[in-house]
Formats: sequence, structure tokens, C-alpha cells
Amino acid sequence: MFFELLAGNLIQGVFLGAVYGMATMGLSLIFGVLKVVNVGHGAFIMVGAFITLALFDGLGISPILAIPAAFGVGLALGLFFYYTVIQRLIKAPELATLLATFSIGILLEEVIKLVFGSEFRGYNWVVGKIDLGITVVPMSKLYAGVGSVVIAVLLYLWFNRTRAGSAMRSVVEDSEGARVCGVNVGAAYAWSFALGIGLTVASGVLLTMFIPVGINPYMGGGYTLKAFVIAVLGGLASPYGAFFGGLVFGLIENGSYTLFALLPGVEPFALTRFLSFMILLVILLIRPTGLLRGK
Amino acid sequence: MLDVKDLESGYGPMQVLWKPSLTVKKGNITSLLGPNGVGKSTLLETVFGSVPPWGGQVLYNGVDVTRVPTHKKVDMGLALVPEGKHLFPSMTVYENLAMGAYPKKAMPHREKNMQLVYALFPRLKERSEQAAGSLSGGEQQMVTISRALMTQPQLIMLDEPSQGLAPLLVREVFETIVKMKTDIGLTVLLIEQNADASLNSADYVYIMHEGTIKAEGTPEEIKGSSEIREAYLGI
Ligand SMILES: Nc1ncnc2c1ncn2[C@@H]1O[C@H](COP(=O)(O)OP(=O)(O)O)[C@@H](O)[C@H]1O
Ligand SMILES: [Mg+2]
Repeated sequence: MFFELLAGNLIQGVFLGAVYGMATMGLSLIFGVLKVVNVGHGAFIMVGAFITLALFDGLGISPILAIPAAFGVGLALGLFFYYTVIQRLIKAPELATLLATFSIGILLEEVIKLVFGSEFRGYNWVVGKIDLGITVVPMSKLYAGVGSVVIAVLLYLWFNRTRAGSAMRSVVEDSEGARVCGVNVGAAYAWSFALGIGLTVASGVLLTMFIPVGINPYMGGGYTLKAFVIAVLGGLASPYGAFFGGLVFGLIENGSYTLFALLPGVEPFALTRFLSFMILLVILLIRPTGLLRGK
Repeated sequence: MLDVKDLESGYGPMQVLWKPSLTVKKGNITSLLGPNGVGKSTLLETVFGSVPPWGGQVLYNGVDVTRVPTHKKVDMGLALVPEGKHLFPSMTVYENLAMGAYPKKAMPHREKNMQLVYALFPRLKERSEQAAGSLSGGEQQMVTISRALMTQPQLIMLDEPSQGLAPLLVREVFETIVKMKTDIGLTVLLIEQNADASLNSADYVYIMHEGTIKAEGTPEEIKGSSEIREAYLGI
């Protein structure tokens, strides 16, 4: 009984962690290339959640197909906000980009509220469960976890095997060096931001596949916070570090939730949040550069 | 091959270039000499385009490229070895060189150019799998120069390539610059504070002071003029 609980927990924790990791890669990518901290991160996740909801409830389109749709919308939003706002602020003091991305977040929240209203929503995607032998997992969670890993691997291949990916990597390492190699540094900035936003909006789909309830315009705040902790865990500037940071965070969150639920008289949800952040605080005290040293 | 006419630029409100003009002839090593802080690097960066020009003109093979973006200039065969190296520290030497072949026209010549720079700097071949950030200062300078050569340039502009190097390495760098001209057929624009070494390898010399060109001539003319030497070079 205990072993099964543990195994089930690890598996669900890994799936959740993969989704969290995927949901943080965009934040790290944008920070790594542009040194811009996207405080509006969670609002873009929220946009992805609403895209899923609108496609599923409105048109009956599967959340799996909502992933590429959300990615495309994210790319477009990213390019739009890069050229209208971010580009002018790259050389400005950090506070300017913090305020700007914070405002973009509020703008997105209010626009979505105007269109969809502010009540909590959910959707009911019936895809059944799968028996993994040691535990039974809802298929939607399996899809979300596996989808996140696939996207992370695709991103890795894109970065390391394509010409555009190599340009972006070179800009991360030294933008002046990239320039003398003939890289269009301005375009690399714009597309990195767009790619980061695209990944983030797409992660909103994956998160609702894992947790298909509680979709509302202000759901992003909690995810922004988690993403920051995860990003710092994995080393702020590295999307892969972020992915592994997410795995660790998912395991801790999922594990502690189950443990607390066993204790009588304890409200597991609040305590889980508390414990996850406590553990992370301790890790950061011991290894301030992040668990993975920001490689 | 390169004509700079009355170029003006600076940083924020501060003007640094006060209309210097110079010409780089095809197949020559042209050297720009002058003490620290007179605007030599700013001149190269403005010609390249990473510092935006305020006024004046840059002609490359007779074409006005004053406001052509940097990546297009690299495609046109203009290479810059910037001050301060600007390598990709966590990439290997090989990956740094491969990044130099990023321009589409350089891609097909990648392996050939790789052999060429390994012949110029055999040490880089031994170090090819090492992270660039872990190399010594001299080796890093070799990578920076090699990476620029990988872009398949016609004109290479070097910003104080001998800065901070031990005397033996300084000689190696200058020998390499001469080889670029004689063996590869490149045109070179070389910035230096090291007056002796550049006077010995250059075909023509400009002397810069306070953001403009104060004197020019063949190395013999510069060496022969005690006025110029005393006023601007301190030798
Ligand atoms: N990025 C920069 N921002 C502001 N001022 C600069 C910058 N780079 C150089 N300067 C200033 O411009 C002047 C010329 O510098 P520079 O072109 O580097 O001279 P040199 O290469 O001849 O030593 C100096 O006064 C220097 O302080
Ligand atoms: Mg200089």
C-alpha cells in the first residue's frame, strides 16, 4: 500500500514536474537572451489556458491540437510586444522592463476578462485512464507530461541542430561576438522573445491538461511565482536548467501534498505551498547559484 | 576598397569621431595608429555599424554602406576582430570557428577555411575540443582572429590584436597578419598602439588623434618625420 502510494506519487510528480519545467523554459529563454525578467509570465500561461478552453468548449477541438495553436498565438503576441514595447527598453534600467512586462500582464488579464468574464471555469476532456501496473494515471496527465518532454527535446534539437538555433545560442554567449559572425542580433532578440512567449502560451495548454479547472483571468499570478522559483532552482538563464528545476519542484509539490493529505486535520493544499517554498528556500540558501549552477 | 569620408559618431551626447577620412587600398595592410582613447575603436565600430554613424560616409568597393546593417556587411566580406575578443566562452574552439561560418556564403567553405586557420594556428587544432573560455589570452586571441577568417572576408579589420600579449605572441600575431595579406590575399585595416610592430608590417599608416586623422604616409615617411613621431607616437 505504501509502496504503491509512493510509486504513484513519483509518477504523477514527474508528469507535473515536466509540465512545470516546460512552463518555465520560456521565462529562462527570454532572460538568457535579453536579460529581461518577464513579470507577466503567468498571464501568458493564462492566455494559453483560455485558448484551450475556447477551442474545446467552442469548437470541440482537442487540447492536443490546442498546443500548436497556442504556440502560434504566442509567437505572434511575442513579436507584437517585442516590437511595440520590449525593443525600446533593452538598454533601459531593469526597473523599466519589470514595469513594462508587469503592465503587459495586466493588459492581457483585463482583455481576457472583457471577453470571457472573471468566473472560474473548467473543461471536461474525457480520454480515460491508463493502468501503468503500479498506478493508474489519467490519460490527460500522461499526455501533458509526455507532451512537455517532447517539446523540451524539440527545443533542444532546434537550438543545437539548426542555423537559427545556433544564432540564438551565440547571442546568449556574447552578442557582440554574434554580430561579428554575421548574426542579425536584432532579429535574434525579437525571435527569442517570440519563442519564449510561444512556449509559455503553449505551456498554458499543458497545465490545463493536467489541471482542467480553475481557469480564470487571474490564475497566472501563482504560476509566475512558481516559475521564478523553478527558474532560480535551475539557473535562471538556461531553459534546460529550468526544465530540470521544474521536475524537482513537481516532485516536491506532489509528494508533500499526498503526505499532508494523510495527516488528520491538515489542509494539504495550503501546507503544500508552504512546504515547497520552504524547501526551495533552504536549497537556495545552500546553493544560491541554483541546483544546476546555471549551466 | 574602403573609403571613410568625414565620419562622425559618438556615445549619447558625446561626439568621439570628428570627421576622420581614410582610404584602405585593396591588398594592402593599412594601419591606424594612435594613443589610448582617441577614437580608434569607435572608428572601426562605426565603419562596421555596431556604433551608429551620425554623419559622413563609408564606401566599400565603391558602394555606400554607411547605414547597411552589420550582418549584411559581413555577408559583403567585411570582417571585424573586435577589441576584447568576444568569444563564445562555453562553446568549444571548434564550435566558435563553426559559428564564424554562419554567413550563408561562408558555409560551403567551412571545412576548407577550418584547415586554413588550423594551418595558421596549429595550436588551435590541438585545442579544438576545449571550451574557448578555458584558453589562455593568447590562444583566445587566435580564436577571435580565426573566427573572423571563417566568415570568408575580403577586408579584415583588427582592433589591437596584440593587446595584452607576451612579446613572442605579439610577433606571431603580426606574422599572421602579414600572411593574411601575402598568402590569403586579404586586405587589412589594423588598429594598433604598438607603433614599432605596425610600422614594420604596414603598407600605409594613418595617425589618429582627438577623433580625427592628424597625419598619414608610408611607414618610411612616418619613421622619417621626427615631428610626427614626437607629436603623436612618443617614439
Ligand atoms: N561604449 C562606450 N560608451 C561611452 N563612451 C565610450 C564607449 N566606448 C568608448 N567610449 C569613449 O570614447 C572615446 C574613444 O574611445 P575608443 O574609441 O575606445 O578609443 P581608442 O580605441 O582609440 O582607445 C573615449 O573617451 C572613451 O571613453
Ligand atoms: Mg580601442
